[in-house]
Amino acid sequence: MIPKKQKAKPRVAFFDFTSCEGCQLTVIDALQYHPELLDVIDIVEFREASSDSSDVYDIAFIEGSCTRASDEMRLRTIRDTASVVVALGACAHLGGINAIRNKQELDDVRHYVYDGKADWFATYAPRAISKVIEVDLVVPGCPISGAEFVRLVKGLLQGRMLEPIDYPLCIECKLKENVCVYQRGEICLGPITRAGCDAVCPMYGAGCEGCRGMITNPNMDAFYTVLREHGLSQAEVETKLTLFLTNQTMSMSREEAVHVEPTH
Amino acid sequence: MNFKIMPKSAFADWVDRLIGSYRVVGPKRKHGQYVFDELRGVEGLELHYPTSVLPPKKYLVPQKEVLLNYHLDGSRLEIASKPEPTVILGIHTCDIHALKLFDRIFSQGFTDQHYQAHRDSVILVSIECLEMCGPNAYCRDMGTASATEGFDLHMIDLGDVYAFNIGSQKGADLFKGFRQAFDAIDTDVDQINHVLATKWDNFPYRLDFDVHEMPALLHESFNSTLWDELGQKCLACGSCTQVCPTCYCFDVTDEVDLLMEEGQRVRRWDSCQIHEFAMVAGGHNFRERLALRQRHRFMRKGKYQMDAYNMVGCVGCGRCASACLAGITPIDVMNELCARQQCSELEPFASVVAEVAA
Repeated sequence: MIPKKQKAKPRVAFFDFTSCEGCQLTVIDALQYHPELLDVIDIVEFREASSDSSDVYDIAFIEGSCTRASDEMRLRTIRDTASVVVALGACAHLGGINAIRNKQELDDVRHYVYDGKADWFATYAPRAISKVIEVDLVVPGCPISGAEFVRLVKGLLQGRMLEPIDYPLCIECKLKENVCVYQRGEICLGPITRAGCDAVCPMYGAGCEGCRGMITNPNMDAFYTVLREHGLSQAEVETKLTLFLTNQTMSMSREEAVHVEPTH
Repeated sequence: MNFKIMPKSAFADWVDRLIGSYRVVGPKRKHGQYVFDELRGVEGLELHYPTSVLPPKKYLVPQKEVLLNYHLDGSRLEIASKPEPTVILGIHTCDIHALKLFDRIFSQGFTDQHYQAHRDSVILVSIECLEMCGPNAYCRDMGTASATEGFDLHMIDLGDVYAFNIGSQKGADLFKGFRQAFDAIDTDVDQINHVLATKWDNFPYRLDFDVHEMPALLHESFNSTLWDELGQKCLACGSCTQVCPTCYCFDVTDEVDLLMEEGQRVRRWDSCQIHEFAMVAGGHNFRERLALRQRHRFMRKGKYQMDAYNMVGCVGCGRCASACLAGITPIDVMNELCARQQCSELEPFASVVAEVAA
């Protein structure tokens, strides 16, 4: 192993697109608990925390979804510059909450929001940054988990691309012996959603909203059956799967039509 | 058999004394469910509980456990676990049978020293169930509705008093210096026998076949169409294996600090129901289909562990059925397999009866 002092610190930059920048705030929070991160990386651009900026960096963390054609060029520049690109949070990873509008007519949405000035804003369907550029790594969640961010950065420094957790939230929820949200007659997306958040929403009594994205190969037919058995109508099922999973469910339904029978 | 009798009025004192010398855990109510948790006193301890979310195995194979601490330059390598002496109160007998299976599994070949360290540090105080804990349990079929060994102490509720069956010296030592536990006399033993013998009306059989047929039934059912049907229902959420008292599959990872100096080797529970469990190098997944994962789970419980350890890998606690949102229950699965194999003419299993205190 090369002693750390001989290693050049990787230059790290943070960029934001359409997002609330809450994931970057979580990074700042994680730095308070892990100040040693600053001994091993060199942050050269981080609008949320520093006035410095740089055109030269090794690792780029990108928060936010791509919502305009004009975002694409900036994303490509980042991709061309950085050797590692990381999608930071649900917006960059999935399109995020911004993608709710993708199930509606874009023009209608734009006019509803911007009214007479709608034509000034050339937005398009919000998408994950991986739809525009190649992404090496994902830190999922809304917001991200600070602990997971630190774990993935550690992996990067060790030359390992740690995949985010790909098992469902139920695993973590059971480990904590939480009351199953369904037992309280409420709905939870835990069975199809990636774990890694320590089941924080169910622990405090709220059903999972799916912010970390779906697991690989979720059994959606079985899941729709469970939701129906718990009294959800088709409209309610679709609403539930829209907060964070619009793009994922839309791409699934393009592959095979999602058939959800109404309960009534 | 060697019994102690303790008036219930003295039980709180006894628990307080234990808390003075040990970490004491037992079933407690949490948001309408029951979980094994640390006791500060007898308050909150619920000995009359249906079942716990997680079985007490979590004290022997913790959900997450640091196995080793080391320095990356090789100068330091030490076993991390130094378990605290712990009394586990109120274990149901199904869970005692599950721990007997664990004892066998973890001592096979190279003994798992981390398990063994926990095992040596715990004192198991079980309690006789006098009624079925819920509709998903089938402990009588599995022969686990009572226990005559595997515990350090075994409690039987006799109304005003508890009887304690002494299973080991460690168990007997819990009464050292405690003056309110008395040697059982003949009338106590009569009462114990009466309670143990008359409880069986409360324990219906729920399998349509004799548990001794289970390995053969599963063997014959390897190519059953039922597995595909289960695969269509299953969410692959892994809840069934997480709550199972006999599941012990684990994953081991190395976690190194940021400065790449110190590291820990960590063991966590794993689940055969999740996508990545059977993923191997090169990305091949030899149990990609949910049907195969469900089949593997039931085969393992009812046959493979019998083949490997001469014990059935299910104790009939019913936790997996309660946890399953898709409604997959071992009782239904086993009975359906049995029906498809036309083995329903078999007599119900009658040989598992209480081994009443002699």
